[in-house]
Amino acid sequence: MKLNTLLFNILYLTLLALGILNCNNSDNKLPILGERDWTKKTVDGKEVVDTIYNTIPSFSFVDQNGDTISEAFVKDKIYVTDFFFTTCPTICPVMKRQMIKVYHAYEGNPELKILSHSIDPEHDTPKVLKQYATDLGIQGNQWLFLTGQKEKIYEIGQKSYMVTAKKEQSAEGGYIHSGAFILVDKERHVRGMYDGTTEEGTQKLIADIQTLLSEYKK
Amino acid sequence: MLAVCCQSAEELKSEQYFVEGYQLYTTNCSNCHQVDGKGMLNLYPPISGSQTLSDKALLACIIKNGMRDTILVNGRKFSRPMPPNAKLSDIEVAEIVTYVTVKWGKDSIYTKIEAVRSSLANCKKY
Ligand code: HEC
Repeated sequence: MKLNTLLFNILYLTLLALGILNCNNSDNKLPILGERDWTKKTVDGKEVVDTIYNTIPSFSFVDQNGDTISEAFVKDKIYVTDFFFTTCPTICPVMKRQMIKVYHAYEGNPELKILSHSIDPEHDTPKVLKQYATDLGIQGNQWLFLTGQKEKIYEIGQKSYMVTAKKEQSAEGGYIHSGAFILVDKERHVRGMYDGTTEEGTQKLIADIQTLLSEYKK
Repeated sequence: MLAVCCQSAEELKSEQYFVEGYQLYTTNCSNCHQVDGKGMLNLYPPISGSQTLSDKALLACIIKNGMRDTILVNGRKFSRPMPPNAKLSDIEVAEIVTYVTVKWGKDSIYTKIEAVRSSLANCKKY
């Protein structure tokens, strides 16, 4: 009897402690990454400083189903993005293996999308991307593979997502690019960058997605 | 006495090839075929369990020249090209062949450079 009560109390206290920890965690906001700027504006006759964060601009690409995808697609969603190409011999296969883990961790969650941009759009047509997605076992539209105008892809990669993606003859496969996974919030601010070639990076991303989603729960 | 000396020399060599082959496999192949040789979904075929393991000449050619074909491996279809590894030397190809055939095939002894050399001279063109 006594022991039972004691055990119950311990259990209860543990749950309480965990509960508190959880609350603390959800207050643990992810940083907003990228260059920022400040402007002064007047609110109620008083001058206040307003921060302008790096924000992903409007875009227009084509996915593996041939549909045009713009920022409207990720309205009220958070998303993970990366850069790759289907014939890449080196790090992309590893990144895709890791991204599959992220995908399965949140499969069917309407608040999370994945956008993988091809940096070799001449080769990676919607048809090629469709085959690639199918071979990876990806159906539906939670994870989209994007192609489009090359300059636009490189521009958004470099200026907005802050990753390098360049055509480079000397590199294996003809391109150099980063193995980063980028986490973007509903306001289209970059909230995290992860090494998509490692298990640590991937697990950190999976955890941070949860943290970011809970920001919107209140 | 003699037998013992030579057998262990062969075994030593097999071990060396296996270890070197393991490292070469890790850097050149495992990103696609995975560390466990099981491949990746329908993108990259498995090596473990594959028929190819019993054809060392073909293995050497695939490693060096890559592959551009539509193939069935363990009952699944694959048709994505595999890039060549032109910069691998004959001994490195021999070491990789040794690693995959000992690890996932029925082999227990290393594949000789001479064998690889003559296989590579007769590769099928894609
Ligand atoms: C960029 C990804 C990639 C890399 C790296 C790669 N392969 Fe492949 N490999 C493939 C693909 C794709 C095929 C199927 C080719 C086809 O369908 O024509 C294949 C086919 C094979 C096959 C024949 C099919 C089978 O599974 O039995 C073997 C054996 C093989 N690869 C071994 C290797 C070895 C050994 C290395 C390292 C030297 C290597 N591959 C590196 C992608 C890759």
